[in-house]
Amino acid sequence: MSNKKTADLDFAFSRRTAIAGAAGGLVWAGLVARLFQLQILEQEQYRQQAEANHIKLQLAPPQRGRILDRFGRPLASHRRAGRVSVIPEQTDNPERTLAQIAELIEIPDDKLERLANDIRYNRRRNAAFVPVTIANELTYEDFARMNVHEAEIPGLNVEMALTRSYPRGRDFAHVLGYVARASQDDLTRLTDGMTGKEAETLKTMFRHPDMRTGRQGMERFAEEWLRGKPGYRKLVTNAHGRIIEEIPDERLAPMPGRDLFVTIDSDLQRVAIERFAGESGAAVVMDVETGDVLAMVSTPAFDPNDFVNGISSASYAELRDDSRSPLYPRAHGGVYPPGSTFKMVVATAALEAGVIKPEERVHCNRYYHFGNRTWHCWKPGGHGSVNMHQAIKGSCDVYFYEIARRTGVDKIAETAHKFGFGESWVLGMTGGRSGLVPDREWKQRVRKENWYEGETLNFGIGQGQLGVTPLQLALMTARIATEGKPFKPRMIGIGPQSDEDQVLDAPLDQEIMARMKAGMYGVTSEGGGTAYRSGDLGLGGPRLAGKTGTAQVRRITREERASGIRKGENIARELRDHALFVAYAPADDPKYAISVIVEHGEGGSSTAGPVARDILHYALKTDSRRKPAYSQSASLSPNLSDEGEPT
Amino acid sequence: MSRDGYTGFSRGEARTRTATSLSFETQGPLDKFMRLPWGFILLIAAMALTGIAMLYSSAHTNPAESHLWRLQLIRFGVCFVMMIVLGLLPLSWWMRLAFPAYVGTIVLLVLVEVMGFSGGGAQRWLRIGPIGVQPSEFAKLAVTLALARYYQMVLQPQTGRILVHLGAVAIMVIPAALIFIQPDFGTTLALLASGAVVIFLAGLSARVILTGIVGGVASVWPIYQFVLAPYQRERVDTFLAQLFGGATNALGESYQIEQGKIAIGAGGLNGRGYLQGIQSQQDYVPEQHTDFILTVIAEEFGFIGTTALLIGFAVLLGWSLYSAGRSASWFGRLASAGATATIAFYIVFNVGMVLGLLPVVGMPLPLISYGGTAMLTTMACFGLILAAHMHRDEKLTARGLF
Repeated sequence: MSNKKTADLDFAFSRRTAIAGAAGGLVWAGLVARLFQLQILEQEQYRQQAEANHIKLQLAPPQRGRILDRFGRPLASHRRAGRVSVIPEQTDNPERTLAQIAELIEIPDDKLERLANDIRYNRRRNAAFVPVTIANELTYEDFARMNVHEAEIPGLNVEMALTRSYPRGRDFAHVLGYVARASQDDLTRLTDGMTGKEAETLKTMFRHPDMRTGRQGMERFAEEWLRGKPGYRKLVTNAHGRIIEEIPDERLAPMPGRDLFVTIDSDLQRVAIERFAGESGAAVVMDVETGDVLAMVSTPAFDPNDFVNGISSASYAELRDDSRSPLYPRAHGGVYPPGSTFKMVVATAALEAGVIKPEERVHCNRYYHFGNRTWHCWKPGGHGSVNMHQAIKGSCDVYFYEIARRTGVDKIAETAHKFGFGESWVLGMTGGRSGLVPDREWKQRVRKENWYEGETLNFGIGQGQLGVTPLQLALMTARIATEGKPFKPRMIGIGPQSDEDQVLDAPLDQEIMARMKAGMYGVTSEGGGTAYRSGDLGLGGPRLAGKTGTAQVRRITREERASGIRKGENIARELRDHALFVAYAPADDPKYAISVIVEHGEGGSSTAGPVARDILHYALKTDSRRKPAYSQSASLSPNLSDEGEPT
Repeated sequence: MSRDGYTGFSRGEARTRTATSLSFETQGPLDKFMRLPWGFILLIAAMALTGIAMLYSSAHTNPAESHLWRLQLIRFGVCFVMMIVLGLLPLSWWMRLAFPAYVGTIVLLVLVEVMGFSGGGAQRWLRIGPIGVQPSEFAKLAVTLALARYYQMVLQPQTGRILVHLGAVAIMVIPAALIFIQPDFGTTLALLASGAVVIFLAGLSARVILTGIVGGVASVWPIYQFVLAPYQRERVDTFLAQLFGGATNALGESYQIEQGKIAIGAGGLNGRGYLQGIQSQQDYVPEQHTDFILTVIAEEFGFIGTTALLIGFAVLLGWSLYSAGRSASWFGRLASAGATATIAFYIVFNVGMVLGLLPVVGMPLPLISYGGTAMLTTMACFGLILAAHMHRDEKLTARGLF
């Protein structure tokens, strides 16, 4: 009995073992079947996924074209700088990654939070592969330290990046402008008129931390010329996104932006800036034969390098609130009353209108009565009896009150336009202004008032509503120097040309222009000239011909005039008049035209004149080597030094 | 006739047993050593060495992991010797060890709760001197031994009642509950599964088993909803999503499964060759040297490699089960079969998980995956199987607890 039971149990055990074994066999068969499905049936699909897994196409930004001066010296180029960024898709915990990075380099707390949000934001909007920049411009020590820790911190990306660099710093701030990360506004502007797909590509490209867009100046004007087209890098990566190797592929390479040549001579620019010796002002130098702008100076200026990686709001506020306005592009965006430098325009208008003969004399006893008011000449005691030549040379206000009154506002305005006044000149920059050449129609339209004849008198000596830029004054001077030949100014030697800038070819009588030249020569070289001492260029021969000017910053009161006009230290600096000077040289065979304004410089002959003379001195001394690099050969030399100065 | 035949059989068997026992008494230890099933043992060694070669392949490019294969080789050497020593231990020794080992494991599991340290999100580790151990791994062997010991004590021809099995369930459930609260869902399931196999083999009536299956199925949803921790639920969700082809987040939970499947599928029939796996060599599959080691074999040796591996396991387990069936004692049979089931569930859970058929439960592949505790448990299980084989005719008369 007992044995029987035992045997039954034994049998039951064997049977159950068999069942368990069979069940196990079924499970095993299931596993093999699954392996067969994955490895044999779906093999192709997984092979492709494995390929896609480790080969990544990474957007490669194009290298921005450089901006070179007429000799091919870089004004805007690139500089290598260490950069730390986080690739959002490679970290699950942005805060921890950032905290780890913050142990190695300094990151302000408020920035940490913003960066974490940026990383999240990129992850959310399918841009998880776009790095978020943590710090730019690493010191060598920081860069080395970050490199060592790169493998340990998920998502950390340490690399050398090409950063836009302005080797000449402030010198060209207002000409070149600067680049910055593309803001939402920038993107809206840049993608204007594009199809959806083009716009999307552009936006994706601009998310790359190396990409910058021109925000101001030539950088903005020539954006498309400089930008180039993005490409891709074909990278073999491991699971952590760490790049194992790069597969070169010519077809995917980005197309770099083109270099742009400006006509400016960066040495001349430097000399001009130095000559201002810290004074606020502007100077424009032009080659009157070619129309090339050789110097475009506005001081003080900002350093565009500060803007490339985003300027702090504190630093920006400092620039913005600086009483000397370093952000203000004086040379082409500064509008000033031209003062007496405008007298050649008035004289030309009068001769064109035939209201006066050159030899006709006007008597100046310092006072000019019109209506029930009295106008004054600047010269105590007056000039006596003057013809046109003497009036220009001595800058006699009474003479110009008289001929302006005879000529009339509309005729003066018409002539002013022939010299380039009242128009905005782009020349590849931004921020240019047209100034204002008033006439009856303007007064009626804007002020809803009739023109008063008395205003014509002020117009005659370059005051009143009239506003011009230093660039326009240089154009005027060039037109006089070339005796009215068609004149086309340009500042971009090779690059996109502005179609807004027209040739200045309105007819100007050569004989009249010759008279103006003679008058300007008198100013600097004849007895009674207002800038008699400035005429000699110190080059043993060539002289300059010019015209002084004073732009009133404030009206001179009757009381002041009665008690003698106070000058210099007696009045606050910001109330002193602006000093102007326009000139060309050599006087007998004009080559260069210049306009100079020294803000609050008081006297055209005492401050602006010597500045203009010294700049022209340098321009003529170095004249023989001013041939531009880009005209020497058709092909642009790509070997021009990127960083170094030519020796 | 039938009675005679039966008796004859019985007598004959008894004689054989006696003879074996006698020869056992008279043979020296060297003879016994030589009688070990060397084919079985060599297959174990071959598979473990394969595992170490795969470990080298998966970790050699990573400086932090490149030394692991040597460590694993040393562990295997130690465990291999231990397995053979355990295999030579008479079953009566194992019997005496069974309940103390069980109680000791329970104590360790409680200690883990009180003073253990965490690893991988769960509190599983206990530090004993310089080494960290996972008592939940030891529990698998201890529960198997305790169940076998229990049935040896209570399972008599006249006591085939259901109530007997309730004691076995209690033995199984106490450590399972302690492991579950660590939490370690995978080990809990494996423990319950191999325990259930032992109870099944011990003869629990088919009616009760069917009821249990129905009850188990019915309790799936309540367990998911009320018992599982959020991260465990997430794993199950991920698993269901990828099983049914739903959208999954490639960088989230299922990344591991996805990358593992890519590695497996990309291996194709022949594989990419040793050390040539793209996925494996470039760190695409997390935990590849531990739980996901199969993906390295699959990518580098293809379908042929994975099938060979599964066949190797099938041979080991099949022979073990066959060997268990030849044991004369209930203790020998159930301990050996329980150890076999323990290893089998390791394999099924691991391979099922890697192939995307089961949720990610964190279960190593026996003999192949990197890891000391799992190696120790696996080799101890094989030692127990060997011991049951070597002493299949040993009469066990133990009645008390020791």
